[in-house]
Amino acid sequence: MKHSHSNAMSMSRRFFLRSSSALAALSFIPNSVKAFYQDVKEKFFVKKQMIPIQLEINKKQYSLTVDSRATLLDVLREELNLTGSKKGCDHGQCGACTVHINGERALSCLTLAAMAQGKAITTIEGLADGDNLHPMQEAFIEHDGFQCGYCTSGQIMSAVACVDEGHTGSVEEIKEYMSGNLCRCGAYNGITEAIQQVAK
Amino acid sequence: MKPFEYTKPKTVREALSSVTKHSHYIAGGTNLVDLMKKQIDEPDKLLDITNTLPDQIEVKDNGVVIGAMVRNTAIAVNKAILESWPLLSKAILKGASPQIRNMASAGGNLLQRTRCPYFYDLTLPCNKRKNGSGCGALKGNNRMGAIIGYSDACVAVHPSDMCVALAALDAKVNIRKADGSEETMNFLDFHRLPGNNPEKDNNLPENALITSIFVPKNNFSKHFEYLKLRDRESYAFALVSVAAALDMDGNQISEARLASGGVAHKPWRWTKAEAFLKGKQATAENFAEAARIAAEDTAPLSTNAFKVPLLKGAIETALHTCLTNKA
Amino acid sequence: MSYFFDSKNTKQMPKGRVEGIAKVTGKAKYSAEYDIPDVAYGVMVGSTIASGRILKMQVEEAMKAPGVIDILSHENKPYVSGFSGMKEMPDNRFGLPVFYTDKVYYNDQPIAMVVAETIEDAMFAASLVKAEYEEAIPETDFAKKVKEVSLKETENDRGSVGAWENAPYKVDQEYTIAKEIHNPMEMHATIVQWKPNDKLVLYDKNQGVNRVQSVISSLFDIPTDNIHVISEFVGGGFGSGLRVWPHTIAAVMASQQVKRPVKVMLTRPQMFTMVGYRPESWQRVKLGADKDGQFMGIIHQARNNSSKIQGFSDGITRVTRKIYGFKNVKTEEAIVELNLPMPTWNRGPGDTTGCFGVESAIDELCHELKLDPVEVRLKNIAPYEMETGLPWSTNYLNECLEKGAELIGWKNRNPVPGSLKEGDYKVGYGVAVGMWGSGRSYTGASIDMQKDGVITVRTAMTDIGTGTGTGMQNVAHTVTGIPKSMIKIELGNSDFPKAPSQGGSRGMASVSSAVYAASLALKRKVAGYAWPDKDANSLNIDDISLSDKGVTYKDNFVPYADIFSKNNLNDIKVEEFAGPGEERKKYGFCSSAAHFYKVKVHEKTGKIKVDRMVIVVDAGRIINPKAAANQVIGAGAGGIGMGLMEEQLVDFKTGRLIGNDLAGYHFAVNADVPLIEVSFIGKPDPNINPSGAKGLGEVGIIGAAPAIANAVFNATGKRVRDLPITVERFFNA
Repeated sequence: MKHSHSNAMSMSRRFFLRSSSALAALSFIPNSVKAFYQDVKEKFFVKKQMIPIQLEINKKQYSLTVDSRATLLDVLREELNLTGSKKGCDHGQCGACTVHINGERALSCLTLAAMAQGKAITTIEGLADGDNLHPMQEAFIEHDGFQCGYCTSGQIMSAVACVDEGHTGSVEEIKEYMSGNLCRCGAYNGITEAIQQVAK
Repeated sequence: MKPFEYTKPKTVREALSSVTKHSHYIAGGTNLVDLMKKQIDEPDKLLDITNTLPDQIEVKDNGVVIGAMVRNTAIAVNKAILESWPLLSKAILKGASPQIRNMASAGGNLLQRTRCPYFYDLTLPCNKRKNGSGCGALKGNNRMGAIIGYSDACVAVHPSDMCVALAALDAKVNIRKADGSEETMNFLDFHRLPGNNPEKDNNLPENALITSIFVPKNNFSKHFEYLKLRDRESYAFALVSVAAALDMDGNQISEARLASGGVAHKPWRWTKAEAFLKGKQATAENFAEAARIAAEDTAPLSTNAFKVPLLKGAIETALHTCLTNKA
Repeated sequence: MSYFFDSKNTKQMPKGRVEGIAKVTGKAKYSAEYDIPDVAYGVMVGSTIASGRILKMQVEEAMKAPGVIDILSHENKPYVSGFSGMKEMPDNRFGLPVFYTDKVYYNDQPIAMVVAETIEDAMFAASLVKAEYEEAIPETDFAKKVKEVSLKETENDRGSVGAWENAPYKVDQEYTIAKEIHNPMEMHATIVQWKPNDKLVLYDKNQGVNRVQSVISSLFDIPTDNIHVISEFVGGGFGSGLRVWPHTIAAVMASQQVKRPVKVMLTRPQMFTMVGYRPESWQRVKLGADKDGQFMGIIHQARNNSSKIQGFSDGITRVTRKIYGFKNVKTEEAIVELNLPMPTWNRGPGDTTGCFGVESAIDELCHELKLDPVEVRLKNIAPYEMETGLPWSTNYLNECLEKGAELIGWKNRNPVPGSLKEGDYKVGYGVAVGMWGSGRSYTGASIDMQKDGVITVRTAMTDIGTGTGTGMQNVAHTVTGIPKSMIKIELGNSDFPKAPSQGGSRGMASVSSAVYAASLALKRKVAGYAWPDKDANSLNIDDISLSDKGVTYKDNFVPYADIFSKNNLNDIKVEEFAGPGEERKKYGFCSSAAHFYKVKVHEKTGKIKVDRMVIVVDAGRIINPKAAANQVIGAGAGGIGMGLMEEQLVDFKTGRLIGNDLAGYHFAVNADVPLIEVSFIGKPDPNINPSGAKGLGEVGIIGAAPAIANAVFNATGKRVRDLPITVERFFNA
């Protein structure tokens, strides 16, 4: 998604593999070939679409041109060097990419960048106020709410939302409302205790 | 993802007129983006309809109208829903994660595709993904598969929790067809059984839009339960789920609703068991009998026989919980 | 480097790990997150058959996709000396000869890598790469093949089987465990940058930078010094980062071929097929005891699956020869080679698996004997290291058991299964223990002091989340006296003093010794500069201490400023190495743990909830109390996964993994895990190393799963001998 290449590439290359030729090619494939069970006749290429978009991230405006296929997560990580949001599965199954969109927690890996326009996006990088950490960040350090740190950004973004939503009535409630954020190191004690502390 | 063109129609009319042979609508995107990344869905055009569909919950005399764009969380925390249709809220909160519920739309929830692993692996045969390729799960690992209503062509189950509650509550689906006309479908007719063309999950006409969901008023807000059994405590699809609701007159059951997720290609209503419960006393014996009646119609696959006792246990437990689970 | 966040300008910082701020602010950079100009994106492509041969790659369609730069495969790759000339799978130490074989050993075996301009382009093009195969019928079903493979003696037997054939109480049972995937949250990733003169930089996710360096060096025939490996932040490993896997090698090849930096990150499904897993296993345990519960003998047989690429033995029976004082032990093992991905070491390898069999069998025996399982274990703890005959340096497993029993309220347990109830749930208590051989490896650390007295402690060792850096800071602070705010840590970099891979719970035991040695050396060197008239080596080291301002020897004090100016120094550097010594010949070393769990079981729905977990660990001195407890908590969470839900299914016909993603493969979420109660014995081991730390990464998970199974039995009377205890296994028991 580097500008320098992608723009040039999309302009210079246009590929339309006609459906008929794709089908014709199939007939030569011997039986031993494990073809993908996809509808091959749909496999013609649309030129990739580059869209100029405006994103508001951590109260800053960004103007950029992105592939229509780009997710918010990949734009953050690969384009804007905001690598605090993590890719743990890329399919909405782990919560590591959690950001706030218009103040609510959401998964940036399932959000197309083009669809994030006009919304206020907050990532982990935007949570602290300068050198002053957000209370949740401090609580995570104090309660050792992480080990390897990879799920931590998502945990903290989710934890802040969990408190805002008021789902901190009991250990069980916190745990349920934090279950969309997997932690393979299993630092669940610290995560839960950090939230309890901030919720007080 | 295959390259595609992204557009954002401003109105329903514009959306309907922008459709092409290989276009798709996108709202919450929680399932579609996933499917596109896997190239199970390969639209050449995406119509972002997030600005076109209603996103309000309207309480009417005879029920509630939930706009298709209302996010799942917004339904679950809505005061009127919590008061009068708490089963719906409870079912939604058992689904996915808070993040996904914040993103997912009401309409999109109905259109979720199965989570059958054979559907998700492009190298494995799957009639739902490509009809004619076969059903890999039928003789493969079908632990997550159906126990009722399936065919040799497909043993996949519908993954939604919200839909199980909607099925139990006799909801209706309001749609706008490609030609602009409107239609209301009974929720129970919306999803379909696989038969010989499992590539079709539901009876929504091509390119039609779900505009809203209607849930009628009922007397089930006092005795209800949504019990979801899965491989872990949270953030997992159901092995078996049960939506149970009772309208009680003293200890006598005036009306009963029982529906399940994780058992069939569509949210499944246990109508025989419901009929049995009607007019009966709320006793452990009657609950066990209702569970037995429901289970006697099931026929598990090679590796999911456990779902039958699980279903029975779930129905009994959910019915018991109805008695104590007061809203 | 962001590892040590410069907190000079901030207000009072919360106390925690040295890298805490980097991790909670998102500033920590993991392998795929370095901003490398002109980087191209690589995506691995896997085979779609499990056994056979590639006749021809079909890349034409993919090559035409937008943004594609090149597609590497066995038909198109650069020269790799370590692989060249290979046709059949050789018995090489690298595993799969990436892109140097047309043979397919398992489904989703890496067969190509697409390199493209953007991540979107690369992902899409990878989906278009296909191959024409000659397909053979794969062997993929462990259960079907397991008994066909003959067991082999481990040659570590003691006594004889005949000696206890008349034991009055016996248990003879079989146990199985499903395949478990490491699934660290960070997916394996590498950025490779070739530089002029055959120099190479790798930002790579792994558990040992020097290992990566040496593997790449020998494969590509480049001097190790030319290879710079950076793994500053590692998003978990659990063993998956102990090997160099095909994607790293492929990225090196790709970067060489396209003459650009290449970044590859595995997809989550590829995390199941390309970086190892805990193999599926079968065990038989036959155990005999007298009427007082004194163990008389054991036969432990085990088989685990491996890939057809390479044999891999998990070492399942090792733990049997270790924990208890069996006079008669017979252990046998075998490998079942299948057309499945390569397994590898996974947290507490071997012992975690073996303990499930042994600790379950002991519970079964106790039930038969009508004796308390805590008492029986206490009676049978190995009095010395059984395999060597050496005395334990320290082994407080007995104290772990006693303390754990007290903390959980073991007296509340009713030995009659199914007798306790809370609401609709049956309640049970279970106990099991674990043990892990402790050791350390030859490890280096350096310290660099600047004029202001700030020191930077460095090692090549990685910190995969275990708290290595924090431990280094603690040791340097304790030994030198320099305040922690003036101790910076840098690690996970092959430019720093060499260190072993972080695995086998040896990280802290190893690096703490090196930092200890370097800290002493620093004290001596600074003192030597401060008092050039004295012979620094003859000074009593305990009389030298460093502070934020200078060095003190007895009543004498010299500020750092004077030392640096008088000696005309820019910095003061020391580098030391430490490793095991004579103590290994004198003592046996182990860490141990006792697990006491309470479970609730809903019999109608088969729902099992772990209600309380008490884990008491003897790991010698605890250097980082918070991080150490966290390690054990995480191991407990892993134990819940292993005990109740983790299971990789296989489609036997095709050898495809079923549901190989984080929605299909379940490990514990927050709601599955109670607030785990951890406590440590905390007595330093005086012989293992100067710090007295024995290591605890593995031992927290060893014994966790059987404690759950034993508690389920106590709750319900159902003995589940197959893990995980999913609802079907519970119903069928």
